[in-house]
Order: sequence, then C-alpha cells, then structure tokens
Amino acid sequence: MSHSDSAHSDWKLGDPPIVHHMDSHTAYDAARLGMWLFLATEILLFGGLFAAYLFYHWMYFAEFHHASKSLNWQLGGLNTIVLLFSSYLAVMAVDSVKLGKSEKAYKYLMATIGCGFIFLIIKAFEYHAKYSHGLFPGMDTFNSEAHQVEYKMFFGLYFCMTALHAFHVILGMGLLLWAALKVRAGHFSSKYYTPVEVGALYWHLVDLIWIYLFPLLYLVG
Amino acid sequence: MSGQHNSGQGEASTGEPKNYLNWDTSIWGWLTTVDHKRIALMYLFSILIFFFVGGLAALIMRTELMHAGGQFLTPQQYNVMFTLHGALMIFLFVVPGIPATMGNFLLPLMIGAKDVAFPKLNLISYYIYVAGALIACFALMNPLDQWADTGWTFYAPYSIESGGSVVLMTFAAFVLGFSSILTGLNFVVTIHKLRAPGMTWDRLPVFVWATYATAVIQTLATPVVGITLLLLIMERLFGVGVFDPKLGGDPVLYEHFFWFYSHPVVYIMVLPAFGVVGEIIPVFSRKPIFGYKAVVYASIAIAAVGFLVWAHHMFVAGISDYSAIYFSVITFGVAIPTAVKVFNWVSTMYKGSIRFTTPMLYAMGFVFLFMIAGTTGIYLAVLAVDVYYHDTYFVVAHFHYTIQGGAVIGLMAALYFWFPKMTGKMYNDTVGKIAWVFVFVGFNLTFLPQFKLGMMGMPRRYFDYLPEFESLHTVSTYGAFLNAFGYTFALVNLLYAWIFSKRKASENPWESLSLEWKTPSPPPHDNFTEPVIVTEWTYGYGTPVEGGKH
Amino acid sequence: MFRYLPEQASEMAPKVDWIHNVITDLSVFFTVAIVGSMIYFAIRYREKPGRRHDTPQIEGSHALELIWTIVPTIICIFIGYYSVAYYRELRAVPEHALTINAWGQKWKWDFQYTDGIKREVTGEMVVPVGQPIKVVLRSRDVLHSFFIPSMRVKSDALPGKFTYVSFTPVKTGTYQAFCTEYCGKDHSAMLAKVKVVSQDEYARWSNDDSEQKMKGRVSPEERGKLLYQQKGCNACHALSDTKIVGPSWFKLFGRQGKFTDGTAYKADENYIEESIYNPNLHIVEGYAPNQMPAYTGQLSKDDIGDLIAFIKTIDGSNASAAPVAAVAVAVDLEKMSPVERGKYYYENKLCKTCHSLDGSPLVGPSLKGSYGRTVKLADGSEVVSDDAYLKESILAPMAKVVAGYPPAMPAGLLTEKEIPDLIEFLKTVK
Repeated sequence: MSHSDSAHSDWKLGDPPIVHHMDSHTAYDAARLGMWLFLATEILLFGGLFAAYLFYHWMYFAEFHHASKSLNWQLGGLNTIVLLFSSYLAVMAVDSVKLGKSEKAYKYLMATIGCGFIFLIIKAFEYHAKYSHGLFPGMDTFNSEAHQVEYKMFFGLYFCMTALHAFHVILGMGLLLWAALKVRAGHFSSKYYTPVEVGALYWHLVDLIWIYLFPLLYLVG
Repeated sequence: MSGQHNSGQGEASTGEPKNYLNWDTSIWGWLTTVDHKRIALMYLFSILIFFFVGGLAALIMRTELMHAGGQFLTPQQYNVMFTLHGALMIFLFVVPGIPATMGNFLLPLMIGAKDVAFPKLNLISYYIYVAGALIACFALMNPLDQWADTGWTFYAPYSIESGGSVVLMTFAAFVLGFSSILTGLNFVVTIHKLRAPGMTWDRLPVFVWATYATAVIQTLATPVVGITLLLLIMERLFGVGVFDPKLGGDPVLYEHFFWFYSHPVVYIMVLPAFGVVGEIIPVFSRKPIFGYKAVVYASIAIAAVGFLVWAHHMFVAGISDYSAIYFSVITFGVAIPTAVKVFNWVSTMYKGSIRFTTPMLYAMGFVFLFMIAGTTGIYLAVLAVDVYYHDTYFVVAHFHYTIQGGAVIGLMAALYFWFPKMTGKMYNDTVGKIAWVFVFVGFNLTFLPQFKLGMMGMPRRYFDYLPEFESLHTVSTYGAFLNAFGYTFALVNLLYAWIFSKRKASENPWESLSLEWKTPSPPPHDNFTEPVIVTEWTYGYGTPVEGGKH
Repeated sequence: MFRYLPEQASEMAPKVDWIHNVITDLSVFFTVAIVGSMIYFAIRYREKPGRRHDTPQIEGSHALELIWTIVPTIICIFIGYYSVAYYRELRAVPEHALTINAWGQKWKWDFQYTDGIKREVTGEMVVPVGQPIKVVLRSRDVLHSFFIPSMRVKSDALPGKFTYVSFTPVKTGTYQAFCTEYCGKDHSAMLAKVKVVSQDEYARWSNDDSEQKMKGRVSPEERGKLLYQQKGCNACHALSDTKIVGPSWFKLFGRQGKFTDGTAYKADENYIEESIYNPNLHIVEGYAPNQMPAYTGQLSKDDIGDLIAFIKTIDGSNASAAPVAAVAVAVDLEKMSPVERGKYYYENKLCKTCHSLDGSPLVGPSLKGSYGRTVKLADGSEVVSDDAYLKESILAPMAKVVAGYPPAMPAGLLTEKEIPDLIEFLKTVK
C-alpha cells in the first residue's frame, strides 16, 4: 500500500485505506450498502429456486413428502446447529475487531471457517449416501425409468439448491479467510474493519438461506 | 488501494493539460484502469462491436426475407441468424448499452463525484462482460448449423432438446447478467453516497434519476434470470427436469421466470434513454425541463410497475384467464407514466429557443418513434387484440420501435451530445444531420411495413412466408440496409472527428448548466479541478417569470 | 385509417376489430397531436442564427400534469374494460360447441374428431359454419401455437397441459392457420388450413369414412377403451352409473362437483390428466384418498388424450359407440338375422369392452367358446354355461362371478329381449 501523496504520509497500518474519491466514513457506509444490495441479489437468486420448489411441492405433494423422508433430518439438523453457531462466532469476530482485539478476532474468524468445513463434510456424507443410491442427477441410474419423475424432481431441486448453497459456503469461507489473514497481518483496527464486517454479513446470509432450506427440504417435504 | 495510480506514470507529451485520456496512454494503463470514464469508453467500443455483428446478422436475415421462398440460407441457418441477432443485441449491446457507457461516464460527473463508489468492482464488471462475450464467441466456433437456434428467449422444452450450442450461449447470458448486477449495484451506492455537497435528491439531473431506476432493476431482476438460465443448463447437463414436461417439469414456469427478468429488462434498456432525452431537450430549448418532479416520479413508477407485468408476454401461453386479466390491467399502469413523460418533453420546447443540433434531432426523433412504440404497446396490452397480435410481425415492429427507436436512438443522441466532453473534439454537425436522416428514414422504412405485416397476420420467426406478404418484406429489407448505412455513417462521423478533427471542444459547447460541463473537456482524471459545491437546480435556463415556479 | 386486419370470419372478429380500430384512431390522434405540437414548437420557437431569444423559466404546471395523468388514465380504463370484456367472450366456450382435438407436432397439425364423428386428419380442419367450435390443443413435443388470423384466435399448444381456442365461424371458405410459437427448423412450414363448410357438406364429409378405413388405424376412442381395460382402470371406475372404488366414468366429462377440501371442480381435460398423473392431489367428495396409483410413466400424454376421447363417448347416449351409429347409415335391426343382431349388440352394447372373442382374458372372461363350456366360479363351485347362465350373467352379473375375475360388470346392458340374439351369436364364436 504505497501512497505517494505526501498529504497522506501520516497513514499507518490499521487506518482506513485512503481512496481518492471518497473519505473513509463514506467508504465504510458505501461498502455496507453495497453488501446489503448484494445480499438482496443473492436472495433473489435463491428466490427463483424457492419458487420452483414450492410450485412443484404443491403439484407433487405426496411424492415430495415421500422423497423428503429419505433425507437424513438428523444430519440436516446438525448442520443447522453448526451454521447457527458459526454465525455467532462471526458476530464475535466483528465485535472483537471493533474493540481492537485482533488476535481474538483472528481466532473467531478461523473458528467460523472451521464450522464451514464441518458443514461441508457433513453435507458430503449426505451427498455420498444419495450418490450410492443412484439419486445423483446426471447418473444413469437417476435418469433411468427406475424412479418416478416427481421423485427425480425433488432430488433435482434438492441438489441444485444445496449445491448452490454449498458453493456460497465456500465463497463465504474464502472471504472470511482473506479477512482473517489481513486481521492477523494487522490491517484492521477499531478505526477500520469494513472487510470483516461485510464478510460477516455475507456469512449471515449463507446461514439465513440454510435456515430456509433445511425445513423446506428436510422437514416440510 | 486505488490511490496509487494518480501520479507519476502518465506523461502528457504535448504539453496539453493532463486529462483522463492522455495521463497514461499505454495499453496496460487502459486495461487496468479503474477510472469510470475509461471503463465507459472500453464498454462503448466493446458493445459497438456486437452492435455491428448483431446488425450484420439482421441484414443477413432481411436479405433472406426479401423474397418469398428460400434465397441463400437453409431454414436452420435462418433460425440461427435470428437467434444470434437477438442474443447479441440484447445481452451484449442493449442491456449494457446506455448504463455501462454513458451511465459510467456521466454518473459521477453529474453528481460531482470523483468516481463511482467501487472503481475496482467497476473494472471487474467490465471483465465479466468480456468473459461473457468470449463465451458467446466460443459458442460460435461450431459449424454454422450447430449454433444456438432457440431464439434469444431460450424457451423450454425446445432449448432442452435443440442440438445447437445452447449451453454455452445460455452460460454467456448468465455471466453477462453478473456484469449487469454489479454495475447496477455500483450505481445505486454511488448515487446514495457520493453526491457532492448541495447535490440534493431534488436537484439530481433526470439522467441520474433514470440511471438510478435502471440500476435498481438491474440489481433486483437479473438474479432471477441468472438462476433460470442455470436451471436450464442443469437440465441439459444433468437431466434435472424443472422445465421439461417429459421429466414432470413445466415449460410455462420457465416463461414466468424468464419474463420476470426480461420484462423489467426492457426498462433497463429504455429508461436511460428517457434520461438522455430529458437532458438534451432543455439544453437546446433553453428552458427548464417541464415538470421535473413528474418526470422523476414517472421513471420510478415505470421501474416499479415494470416488475408486476411480466406475464403480459404470456397471454396465449396457457396461463389462466384470471392471471391474463390481472396482467393486462396492471400493464396499463405502465402506459400512464410513459405518456406523462412524453407530454413533459414536448412542453419543455414550448416558448423555447430551439437549436437544431444533431443531438436535438435525435431527441426529437426519439419522441416520434417512442410515440409509435408506446401506442402500439397499447394494442398488446389489450387481451382480445394481443391474442391476435402475439408472436406476429406487429410485435417485432413494436419492440424494435421501443428498443431501437428508444434505446439505440437514445444512445446515438447521447453520443452526439456528450462526444465533445468525452473526446475534447467537435464533430461535423452537418454530416451528423445527414446521417440522422438515413437512420430515421431507414428505421421507419424497415419497421412500419412490419406493423402492416403483423396486422395481416404474418407470424414472426418465419424463414418463409405466403406470397401476399412479399412486397412489404421487400420494402422492409431496403429499409434495413438504409438504416444500417445510417448508423455506420453516423458512427464513422464521430470516429473521424475524434481521430482527425482539429476543432477542440470548449468546456461547455452547448452552454448546459449541468455539472459535467463545468470541468474541462475531456475531464481530468479526478473529474473536477476544484471541489464541487452545488448551490442550485440543474435546469435554471431562461429568465425567471411570474408564475414560472410551481 | 390503417384497416389491414384480414377477413372477419368468426363471430368475435368484428368486436375484436372494433376495439382494435378504436385504439388505432386514438393512437393516430395522439401521435399527430403530440408530434405535431413538437414540430410546431420546433419551427415556431426556432433560434435564428446567432440570435437567441429570451425564454421564460417555466418549471411546470400542476394543472397540466394533472390533466395529462387523468386523461390517459380514463382512456386506459375505457380500453381496459373492453380488453377484459372481449377477452372473456373470446375464451367462453358455448355449451354445444363441437370439440376438435388439435395436436401440434414438429412440424404438422393433426386434427382428431371425437365429438359425434371419429376422424383424424392432418393439415386441414373441416368445420361446419355457424357451429361453435372448441379446438383443444396439445403438443407432442415442444411448444407450438395455433393461430387462425381470420378467426382472431390463438393459443399455445403445450406438451404438458391442454389449452384451447374457441370460435364460431360465420362464413364458409378456406382460412389459413399458422404455428406462431417458434418450434425449430421448419417452424415456418407448420401451416394448416381451416375449411369452413356448410352444415350439409360437413355431414357428408363426416360420413365419408373411406379415409379412415384406408388408414386402417384404431381410432383414439377405441385405443382409449383398450387402455381402460389394459391399465386396470376398469377395476375401480365403472362405465355405468355405479360407484366401485373410484368415481364412475359414466357422464364424467363436464361433470361438476366438490373435492374433499371443499373446492369445486369441473371434469375437463386438465382435471382428467391431473387425476391420472397425480391422483391424490384432489379427492372427489365421498371417496377415500390414496387408493389410486399415479400413472406417470405408464400412460403417455397421447394415451391420456385417447382416454379422454373414450370418456367423452360415455356420455349417456345409449351405448359407447352410439356417436358413430348416429351419423352412420341407420342400422336396420329388423332386417338382420339373429346372429347378426347378436354381433351388433356385442359390438355396440359395451360387451366387447371387457370380453374378447379371441380367447384372451380382458376384464371379464373371453366369449370364445363360451356357450356350453364349464366355468369355475369364485365361490369354488362349477356351472355349465347354458342359456340360463348366460342370461343371468347379463341381467345380474354379480350373482355368479367367474373365478379370477373382478366383480366389475354393470347390470342392465341388454334388455331381456335382446339376450337370445346375443346367445345365438355366441354359439357361433368357437
């Protein structure tokens, strides 16, 4: 971060970065507004999938119920707890960095990422179970006539929704990892912690989407 | 962060004052720029490439349609051509269109900001656009017969079983959507957070308002088409049957999802053009924009109601009679604010001091073309009449009047109006006017006959047609060539002026009161040479009169 | 001005055209007024070279804004009223409409006549003038759309659902029909003709079944009937007005009633299809849920079309094949021999629905060699199939049920007077 402008020579690590087109307070506001808008687009992205799911749930009620019962709600529930807990950790990370406790914030962030890993591992077990039953879209067994189309519709949507969500979990983990490394390098202080805050916001969205996915797919059926 | 580029590297060799064009002329300097003005220019050149490729596809189609019976294409090649024309024009030219080019260039200048809120994100948006464009080009590497042949709408189940390279084309549209989302997001935050001191909401130029309404639509509607196209890809690659009736899916659901985005996208195309016209008419009439608040509210209303009318594209698609009635009634809600805008533009000219420059001609042409676009839209909102007109040439003519007559003519008006600011040069106004005549006459010659074809019942997307339609098709083809020549002529005029013209543009050649004219042409890297403080409304033209304020 | 719509060949066409032309006149008026004032202002207030004149700083006018918001609103309400009113008329199907099934398929239109006559023709639909027509649309592959400009009707044909257009032709003549939903390579060649003929000519056309014979094809109703037996529909759905496990198919088409959840239904094409593919979504009042398996994968959309054609024949007119008889040359039973009469009864009084002549068991035992054979009953006893047994089996089918067959036969298909003739016929089936 070299800043050639001599007016900014008193800038030190942990201060807000100096950008030429706005002051640091505006930059903070802008980043938060930008992230909120981005979250809105993410919700609409999933909104399409939710709408499709609800439509077919209504059309193929019995089959969806039947298919939903084959999902392991205990594992799904465990994953819900893991994500909820990770959101708590993310909140603690933001709190700590706000108070200037970088080391603590770093640990909280890494713990949040750890929860993300646990989530993905549990998800992988669930996927594997479905895969070994030949219920993975694209497999010959899935596309064969062995299953009713409504049954396949449920699993098609199940995989689309959870895979897109898992992709968001991975993105969120990447974002938090980047923030964590910068926390450790001392880039953030009580004066400047925008990336940690927007990263945590994003993580809450990932959590929120799962909170809708879990009952829809595992419980309501 | 982004502070590192503003000094040192660029060297203006001629001793001219440094501006955004000459501070670093290396290729690398352009490719890595985060300056909204440079990004705007890069967008402009990129979209114009696709404007010409898409236009070429249109000319090939029109030549094929010149006479009844096959001319030089096979039916499959014809289908590929209209798909290419539609997909390129919509996703790569008109949707980025005015927002990514003029919006990017003008928005920070008009509100007195040094850049958009997230300059790096702006550059990323551009490269996402480039990536989408490359994927689309990659889809064209196949032999001609295997190009996507679904129409730009990718309707299921045809798009699921068609042999063409639909997956790549769909994926390109998906990627381009993200570019659009990020641009919109950037603009919304910029307008909220970066207005100069004194630039209150009720002083914002109407172009900024229009861009704001557009940006909101870009941000909120595009994700839905993203997921729709993604599901279509899943369908083709993995057999997830959300839209395939063979797999229990519903093709009408696809149409709902598709139009939930693709109707608002019409306003992404045309609202910024409304904004452009709202800027040009006051300047060349020397009058404040008539009914500023009404014009602004109309933009917001159009954007809002635009989200609620999508299924008027589906009146005969097998939706229930009750939803058809609902969507028809709501659609009239778009007609009213649009009418209000037109009345206000024309009233602005009343008792003005009107100068016929090329941009003013485009703006007036826009009003005429948009009257036709708007009134023919009424037919299509009326259920009993739309049942007749749906998917005929009447619809083709109608949406070309809105999209070409609206968005493209709006872009031409904007280019001719802000060219001196963007390049620091003046163009040949007389040549510009001659080119305008070709564009205007050619356009009407192309599409007025198509209204009549539609009235006579000619369906769209037809490779061949009945003999009674032939003469009108022939006229339309002549018009298309004239139109294409007009655009080429008009754009070459600008390009020529930029490269060869010796006439430097002053800071404010049109004597506008808007902020972007209160800085040198072309503007410096940071847009303004001194801090901006706004003290008055943008449109204070003319002499104050008794009762003039409302 | 701009009156280019094609010939008005349907009852609705003049109304559609009226509102169309009203919009045209309003549009021309407003376009000329607005663009006219723009051009007038442009010329009247143009700037002389180098001499700018003073302009008044008018920012707007509340009164004008109000006027040009309210006037378009009133016009929109006026047009909107007709938008809805005429659309509802366009979609309303008269009670006595003649139903024709149109199947879209890349790249042709098939028209099936099941209403009164049985015909299947491709590319040309023949309809009688003055008769309300309902064209029920369905696609065998991708989306298509059926458009008859002169009738002012259009609707998409979907692969997953029935849609329809309805019109009453008022003029004889041949009219063009198009496919208007892009459907691939030869979309532009997917044309059809609609031939509107006089009632007499239609009657002649419908009696002329030479084409049908030449094709040697089983009609949709006959296939539907076969499916009814083969797929086990008969186990639960009677063809007479009796309740077995599920609702009877007797006069099913068009029936109205209530579901267990209290909502009302009308048995149309989509209802029947939903009941077959997704039987437990809605249960008719008075029946138990979860009795019927979903037939997805077992019955194609074509199959369902055929079943519907069959269901329509069970309309209460005295026998399933009655529609054919009604238009065919009247059968003179008096002049027939008893065996011929028996054969006629076998074919026309529903017997053949469940009893084959070739030895294959359908719902009921085959009638091949039925006279004089010994049959084993469900209760384990044996009985010789003689006149008395056969008569009892027809008049009171449930009294003695043959082992291995469901108790599914309705009573009262034949009168006592007709039975001896049938038995004479059965004696010949060896």
